[in-house]
Amino acid sequence: MALLPEQFSQLESLAETWALPTELQRSERRWAAGPDDYRRFYEAMLPALDQVLDYLDRYEPGNIPEPALPLYRLALAFAEAAPHNELYDCSNTVPNSFDARRFVAAHGEITDR
Amino acid sequence: MAAPAEQLKQAMPYTTRYPELGTGPLDVRPLIDPELFELERERIFKQAWLYVARAEELAEPGDYKLRRLDVANTSVIIVRDRNGEVHAFHNICTHRGNKLIPEQEAQSLGHTATHTLTCRFHAWTFNTDGTLRGVARQESFAGLDKSCLGLNRIHCAEWEGFIFINLAEQPRQSLVEYLDGVADHYAGYPYNEATLRFRYSTVLNCNWKVSLYAFSEGYHVPTIHQGTFPSLATLEHTEFRCFGPHSTSGLYVPPVPGLEPTPVTANLGGRLRASNRHRPHLELLPENINPDNRQDFQFEFSVFFPNSVIHLCAGNGYPGMAIFHHQFWPIAVDKTLWEGTNYFRPPETVSERIAIAHTNALHRNAWLEDTSTMEQTYQALSSGVLDEMVLMDEELMIRNTHKHWHDYMGI
Repeated sequence: MALLPEQFSQLESLAETWALPTELQRSERRWAAGPDDYRRFYEAMLPALDQVLDYLDRYEPGNIPEPALPLYRLALAFAEAAPHNELYDCSNTVPNSFDARRFVAAHGEITDR
Repeated sequence: MAAPAEQLKQAMPYTTRYPELGTGPLDVRPLIDPELFELERERIFKQAWLYVARAEELAEPGDYKLRRLDVANTSVIIVRDRNGEVHAFHNICTHRGNKLIPEQEAQSLGHTATHTLTCRFHAWTFNTDGTLRGVARQESFAGLDKSCLGLNRIHCAEWEGFIFINLAEQPRQSLVEYLDGVADHYAGYPYNEATLRFRYSTVLNCNWKVSLYAFSEGYHVPTIHQGTFPSLATLEHTEFRCFGPHSTSGLYVPPVPGLEPTPVTANLGGRLRASNRHRPHLELLPENINPDNRQDFQFEFSVFFPNSVIHLCAGNGYPGMAIFHHQFWPIAVDKTLWEGTNYFRPPETVSERIAIAHTNALHRNAWLEDTSTMEQTYQALSSGVLDEMVLMDEELMIRNTHKHWHDYMGI
């Protein structure tokens, strides 16, 4: 069964690997991504971003129904990954930075799905 | 050789306003000496007021926060009792000293629906006001006086929803006296509305002041943050004021000529800027912050002695960000728990939530840039090669902290 609503079928293969439920899982995905991963993600998502956000805005934060969660998580992953395209030349690390794996997202999971 | 007074005043207009701070280099020894670290435990961290919780973390009666304080070899329970009053206690059962609440992390939140806390060892039960409520098989203790066996209380006070504790038996000053002019300077912003928190932490292999000092100046921004925030290259760090051991300053960022926001940041940040809830709210700033009502206000930036740095943004600067702060918790002379927290007003729409994730991710990335220097700095300083460090004018808040560190330490 498809993860995303039909009108976003072009993003389906991205959702399979990027639409992860926790910030840590999405971070691990970012750290594992190569330049081509970042390029594919960005080139597919940027033109669809407004439509994705418009679609998600039919729901309230904290009350997104199960079937729409993969799209929401894909959008979160994109919000977190885009700086790698826009600022870090598609590197999977922030240049000249501390080891991101030692940085703990101590807020845990924000539960407002 | 000392510079002539006029030249000093021209180079260091802020620093020279505070003659007691001097203009010379600072001694490095306080950042690397293990014996001084042992003294800091007593003379600073058991004397000063320490910020430990936001009131919203303890919104309801029965809510509590557990905060480990390695520097004082203790952990602290901050709890809201059934009448709404906040108390702080050492996390130790008064029977045989077990930790009343088992501790897994440096800080954690919990709730007791029964307004009691029960030790897992022998089931002694305490009310959230600290009184000892129940002792299993009490008849087998000879003459047990429960009224003397309440939890060990720690002084606790709240200012603008920031909850502080003081580990001294009798604090030298009330919290408001302690905060000096910074209390008024920051008063009145609706901090309580920024309830969406993102906290990052790491243990840095450096002295806590290496980390604190790195986060106490803006001089590093054009170099360290050229990766994540090239837009900050033009920053002006100004309006420095010292209030006793605390200090504050304003940070402004005129537009960088020719630099446009990147597409995703323009889209997501733009959504927050266009939202009444998340847009820049200059009008909410306390009156002495951004006094000229500049549109390029980024944030007010303050050191709350000894170990907190608080930034008030009010939606200016980083899109949607209301406040953020850093805390530096000493573990050993060469080990520090750093915690950075970003605060936003809660989103009204899902797209706002996603846009907030973008602002938060950029800021987290900038912190990865900040923390990249600290262990290297500490290693290099601990070589003993440098006895002193020289400061420029806008490193004034470091100078103020360092001076008051000496005063607290009596050395």
